[in-house]
Amino acid sequence: MIRLVPDHSARIQRSEKVPFTFDGVALMGCADENLAAALMQAGVLHLRNAPGDGAPRGAFCMMGLCQECVVFVDGQSVESCRLTVSPGLAVKSRR
Amino acid sequence: MSENHDIAIIGGGIMGCAAALRLASGGMAPIVLDRGDLGQGASGVNAGTLSLQIKRVRLMPYALKGHEEWARMGDAVGFRRTGGYTLAFTEREAELLTERQTLKAEAGAPIEFVTNNQVLSAEPNLTRRVLAASYCHEDGYANSSLTGQYYRGRLREASVPYRERCAVTSITRDTQGFVLHTGGPPIKARRILLAAGAWLKPVAAMLGVDLPVNARINTVSVTERMPPLFATVIGHATGLLTMKQKGNGTILIGGGWQGRGTPQEGRGEVIADSLIPNLSLAQFALPKLGQARVLRSWTGFEANVPDFYPLAGELPGVPDAFVLGCVRGGYTIGPYIGRLMGDFILGHSPEMPLFNPGRDFEKDAT
Repeated sequence: MIRLVPDHSARIQRSEKVPFTFDGVALMGCADENLAAALMQAGVLHLRNAPGDGAPRGAFCMMGLCQECVVFVDGQSVESCRLTVSPGLAVKSRR
Repeated sequence: MSENHDIAIIGGGIMGCAAALRLASGGMAPIVLDRGDLGQGASGVNAGTLSLQIKRVRLMPYALKGHEEWARMGDAVGFRRTGGYTLAFTEREAELLTERQTLKAEAGAPIEFVTNNQVLSAEPNLTRRVLAASYCHEDGYANSSLTGQYYRGRLREASVPYRERCAVTSITRDTQGFVLHTGGPPIKARRILLAAGAWLKPVAAMLGVDLPVNARINTVSVTERMPPLFATVIGHATGLLTMKQKGNGTILIGGGWQGRGTPQEGRGEVIADSLIPNLSLAQFALPKLGQARVLRSWTGFEANVPDFYPLAGELPGVPDAFVLGCVRGGYTIGPYIGRLMGDFILGHSPEMPLFNPGRDFEKDAT
């Protein structure tokens, strides 16, 4: 099996919460935790709008395929399920 | 079972299929052979642009007729008449635009020059740095990936037999005409039409004819789906950009930037040194393209001869053999010139002149 998302569950630091932002809103998450999961934990489900009808979209496949959880980080479109939380990470939505 | 056909057409792209349909409607029994699947060469991988603003002046009457053919094919080929803008960003490009589009307008294309403000009010997401622009309401696009299934259906309706994955490996003659050797039983035909696109040279060589066919390796890219950003076909004064947003939101970017490879080696390859300036120009024209990810880039082979005019007529030195290909703007013009070629083979006089494949290519290079 090919893992699209590396298994680094052991690296997630549950003891320590770090700040990051989503569209400028301050959130907290565990360092090295999956970004899509951290956003869900923080109650953020709506990550982008469908390009056609503008309907809300959020994390779906959680393995880098469906593109529904794509966000902007450093001006680039990236799947949030393939990123991890780091202190000060600034995430912009494609809403 | 021995097979006898009035004509065998080697190459099931737009031109081969369009000629086959005309021949069949004129009472001949053609068979279409393709080494791969129908419409999967240049016919199926080009960017689908139907723009009079990028057609050669002398081919304009054919392109205008081509547009009529595409409009008739309509939804089945994803035809959309959206109108199209050609943009110039510098003084030099503006001169080029004026010079080229004036000639094309004189040749019959409904092209007009428009102001920067007209462009921006129609397409507000384009760059503010447009210095000059032209517009043609006839321009638009079709979906080239539908070519194969479209013509497959048309051939079936017309009861024209076709063979896919049927490469012709050699051609011999018998008293009746031509014998085409393939992996399976030989196929016999009284006449033969070579319509093999970028593969014309090796195919003609099987009949002992050296056609000076070269192939350009044009790059096309498609982005992920984006919200509606523009509605028309966008081009650049130099001809180095075509861009359109499809109904599903994806943006298709072309412009004839060169990849690497030869038709003999199979599909060509995209090269970064060529792709990056292509995408940069596209992004300059449409800044919001910077937010889109490219899903895929690929290449297609566009055949040409040294004077960049079509081969459409009798194959020199081989009675009952014909050749059709190397049409600049072949996607646009293909359905029409295929029909003309059919008329010519049927012995009717085509409504517009064809292009003698036996001409002196160096002399005629204007």
